[in-house]
Amino acid sequence: MAAHEIESRAVSADPAPGTISGQGERIPRLLLAYSPLGSLVRRVARIRASVHGKLLGAFLLIALLLIAMGAMSLRSIATVAHQSRLLDQARERVDASRQIEHALGLQMNFTRNALLLKDDSTIESMFRENNRFQDTFNRLEMGAPPAQRETIQRIRATQDRVMATVARIAALIREGKSDEAMELHLNEGYPLYREIATLVTRAVRTEEAGMGQLREGVEATYRRALLLTGGFAATSIILALGLGFVISWSFILPVRAAGEFLGQVAQGEFGRSIEVPNRDEFGELAARMNHMSGELHRLYDDQQRASHQLRVLNAELERASRAKSDFLASMSHELRTPMNAILGFTEMIRDGLYGEVPAEIQEPVTDIHTCGKQLLGLINNVLDLSKIEAGHMELALGEYLVEDVVGTVKLSLRALAATKGLDLVTAVSPNVPVCVGDAKRITQCLMNLAGNALKFTREGRVEIRVEALGETLAFAVSDTGIGIAPEQAASIFEEFRQADVTISREFGGTGLGLSITRKLVELHGGRIWVESEPGKGSTFFFSIPVRVVAEASA
Amino acid sequence: MKTILYVEDNEFNRKIVRHLLSRTTYRLIEAVDGEAGVTTAREARPDLVIMDIQLPKLSGLEATRRLAAAPETRGIPIIVITSFALAGDEQKAKEAGAAAYLAKPYSPRELLGMIRDLAPES
Repeated sequence: MAAHEIESRAVSADPAPGTISGQGERIPRLLLAYSPLGSLVRRVARIRASVHGKLLGAFLLIALLLIAMGAMSLRSIATVAHQSRLLDQARERVDASRQIEHALGLQMNFTRNALLLKDDSTIESMFRENNRFQDTFNRLEMGAPPAQRETIQRIRATQDRVMATVARIAALIREGKSDEAMELHLNEGYPLYREIATLVTRAVRTEEAGMGQLREGVEATYRRALLLTGGFAATSIILALGLGFVISWSFILPVRAAGEFLGQVAQGEFGRSIEVPNRDEFGELAARMNHMSGELHRLYDDQQRASHQLRVLNAELERASRAKSDFLASMSHELRTPMNAILGFTEMIRDGLYGEVPAEIQEPVTDIHTCGKQLLGLINNVLDLSKIEAGHMELALGEYLVEDVVGTVKLSLRALAATKGLDLVTAVSPNVPVCVGDAKRITQCLMNLAGNALKFTREGRVEIRVEALGETLAFAVSDTGIGIAPEQAASIFEEFRQADVTISREFGGTGLGLSITRKLVELHGGRIWVESEPGKGSTFFFSIPVRVVAEASA
Repeated sequence: MKTILYVEDNEFNRKIVRHLLSRTTYRLIEAVDGEAGVTTAREARPDLVIMDIQLPKLSGLEATRRLAAAPETRGIPIIVITSFALAGDEQKAKEAGAAAYLAKPYSPRELLGMIRDLAPES
């Protein structure tokens, strides 16, 4: 037979527009066909990683983006916090500066009062204000930016000079030199106060400018944080959507292709293969499916070859069967033609066609005729068996009366029974209806069994009984003959079997009769069996349907 | 006098019928194969044909069929000698146009009876 070529048709998982089916998929279809996402899907499919790995990678990427976004936010918060702290410190410094100015104002006031009142308690107040000024000054100096340091130092230096001047004024007041004290206050103390006031004002202005800058910085940081967060959020969403699309389609396409492929395989298209770019579990699956398809194709080819061989064999068998049947027909004819001459001539001699037969020749002529008949019987048996085995035995089904069959058998065997001095008794139950079967063959069966019974019985009787048991017709042929040993009962229905070789020597026969009988009974859809006791006799039974239908003989 | 055609390839069997009919008023003509049988039947127009089922050149069934189909031989009764080779031989003989059939080996007595039935001696 012609070898089947493996067809190179392939189901592809490429994201071509045609391969995507389903409703509501117009957008993915367009994206896969006309955007870079299509090639991205292919590239993702080609990544040598498991499905688990790909999904984990995508999730990790998005998680990293979110973590980065969190870090940026934290950094912005830290910056804002730092700037707020600086702002607080600046505000404190402004407060301190104002307190210094206030304390200085009070000191000047107390100094004036001391100059007017000249009492000790006022002088003490003057110094107390001076001490408070010192505390505030320490606070101001703490955490001041470098730009302010010079101003603060100048304030401190000026303050020191104020302290010295105040001390001198206090001393002059205590000594009662009021005029000198007043002069000192006006000429040195007051100008120093004015100088400090100017310096403080300058420092406050500087601080306020710095605070303005800080506030702007905080605003800017906030705006940047907002932008960054928004940007990250948008990027995350786009990335999640994109990765979701690409990864899911890199799985969906091979699954679809596999589905289509399996559908084709299910329809008996074994030659196909599936092509997916995936190097993950789906790729492995596709490879296995291709292997499966190949195996199926191979099996299909084998099966085709086998069925072809079977057909060839069948044809050969048919030819052989025809040859056998031709041979049978020819053999049957070839054997019967000389038999016809032998039996024909002897019959004509016995009938006196050639004149009176001399007395001494009459017996041998009768013997020739008897032996010729026997030989014919054997030939018929052998041909029958061959016909049955070649499947050429067909039953000629028709209605028949069991009484007729039994009558024919009795008539044929009456002479033999009489010769052997045996009783041949027949009994057909009145319940037996008109039956359907091959009357000629059923007669043959009964004749075989009754003939055997007579043959193997020396004295006593042979009885044929027939009755109907529902839809079954039961035949029984019993004798008072030699019987059959139980271990031999099973094999007597096989070809060329007689219970004992010595028996054939005494009683004759080829052992074909029972075999043919069994096969004819089976052709009628019935069965045959024997019950026997050696020395006492045997009963052969066969049962066939009352109405044999054509199928039973098939 | 009635004429009988026996178509049979075996010499001994032809001799049986020859001997069988020698004591009767029938005239016997013989043919040894199917084709000769058909030709002889057409030419001699016998009153009865005895046809063996298996013959050289042309089978007995086919020869019977031809004789039954031809207008000039259609009326001649034919006895087909079957050999019980396969089931349905008798049926086939009847279908081919045989008036009767006889299984081989036949009894000469029986054959003579059948001949006398189909073509009584005048």
